[in-house]
Amino acid sequence: MTGPGMTGPTLAEICVVACAEAWRGDGAILAGPMGLIPALGARLAQLTFAPDLLVSDGEAGLLAPLLAPSGSGTVTEGWLPYRSVFTMVAAGRRHVMMGASQLDRFGNQNISCIGDWARPKAQLLGVRGAPGNSINHPVSYWLPRHSRRVLVERVDMACGIGYDRAAALGAPGNRFHEVRVVVTNLAVLDFRTPARTMRLRSVHPGVPVGDVLAATGFPLTVPDEVPVTRRPSAGELALIRDQLDPAARRERELR
Amino acid sequence: MAEIVSLAEAVALAVRDGDTVAMEGFTHLIPFAAGHEVIRQRRRDLTLVRMTPDLIYDQLIGAGCVRKLVFSWGGNPGVGSLHRFRDAVEHSWPGPLELEEHSHAGMANRYVAGASGLPFAVLRGYAGTGLMAEGMASVRPITCPFTGEILTAVSALNPDVAIVHAQRADTSGNVQLWGITGVQKEAVLAAERSIVTVEEVVPHLDPRPGSVVLPSWTVSYVAEAAGGSRPSYALGYYERDNDYYVAWDPIARDRDAFRRWLDTEIFGMAETMGGR
Repeated sequence: MTGPGMTGPTLAEICVVACAEAWRGDGAILAGPMGLIPALGARLAQLTFAPDLLVSDGEAGLLAPLLAPSGSGTVTEGWLPYRSVFTMVAAGRRHVMMGASQLDRFGNQNISCIGDWARPKAQLLGVRGAPGNSINHPVSYWLPRHSRRVLVERVDMACGIGYDRAAALGAPGNRFHEVRVVVTNLAVLDFRTPARTMRLRSVHPGVPVGDVLAATGFPLTVPDEVPVTRRPSAGELALIRDQLDPAARRERELR
Repeated sequence: MAEIVSLAEAVALAVRDGDTVAMEGFTHLIPFAAGHEVIRQRRRDLTLVRMTPDLIYDQLIGAGCVRKLVFSWGGNPGVGSLHRFRDAVEHSWPGPLELEEHSHAGMANRYVAGASGLPFAVLRGYAGTGLMAEGMASVRPITCPFTGEILTAVSALNPDVAIVHAQRADTSGNVQLWGITGVQKEAVLAAERSIVTVEEVVPHLDPRPGSVVLPSWTVSYVAEAAGGSRPSYALGYYERDNDYYVAWDPIARDRDAFRRWLDTEIFGMAETMGGR
């Protein structure tokens, strides 16, 4: 399974691990991954460093933190219909990784429309769970195509709220607000700056910092030494390749 | 007490032009046969309510039945956009479509309030989002009388008609559904009238773990419609037809292809699933 002969990590595999890292230290909360790579990340975290994590199967089951005896496949350990998910959202015991059609420098997210809400140029999916998620518990974002179209100065419609809007609400309404990390196909970003604007946390192996800046529609805070996103361990690679995603569907999310 | 009628009769009796209609069912048990019958009977100016509009509302919108949509997520699950929905919003085809947009939890709680006979539900969400800025009549800030925290009130949903699909009803019109259930119970209890299509009418309902039972007195009409949630699935009866969702994309992208679909699959068919 592991050891010599194993090829180096692909970009998708580096992204899976970067997504997994988003849930490190969260304890017994519900992980809400949206998208395949975040789902693989949540599962990888649960099977390695975050065994208490509750991971949905995407419908109404909870996956046990173990592999099926037959090899690949999953063991269901619980029943969590979405009625119960709302309770966990309201109680704050959840950390989701959502997608975004637009995300701005304060972490405001848009999945509703492009253009004016009342007369959109493009009607997108709708606000979905974002208004409740972003104010009740931590959220992170997965952006498989880091570009100036997605990372914009200002979102056309705020569905999930960022740090400027949370600050405007003030206490106590904003006490559960946190945008944890943004994982893209180029880098990992966060909001650990005095103004709570977006910062470059690490670049994926082989990605020049300049490429990240050029693909971002607003100025990023860049540390003097930009770390490189951690590579998967041999054990993690084996889990991803042999158990979690043997058909390598992860590679197609980054086309 | 629920009357057991044909699907065509149920729609003719319960759904009127201009009604607010909620068709619910989450992932499975989506009431497609009933939606198609609404198109076939050429209802107009409907306000459609649904947490997660998917193909069923794309079809109703494209067919010109709908004036307004109340929703929290509209897409073709696992495939992409709803192109009839987008065409209506972006190009007013076949007519303009007004939107009232809520979060998932907001929609679910609005049904609960409606079913409970209360005027609104309270959430922490919405604060700071664009939804508060758009001045929708169904969303208002509210101050907690105990802590002073500013929260969000969303108005109750009380549809004229709720339409859901279930696995079974008994001959008295008691309804039973199981598997992944959504807000079907709340939608039916909140609505003035209701239609439940079922895979089969059986003499007796036997217990199932986690099932939702709608007593006959909460339901207006029960209609047998075997296969009535295809291409979604009915646990214990049939699987989801994933290929159909993929095949829908090119039909919905093209107005002419969609018209042909309407002519052959809807208007060209008598009500086929709801025989008496």
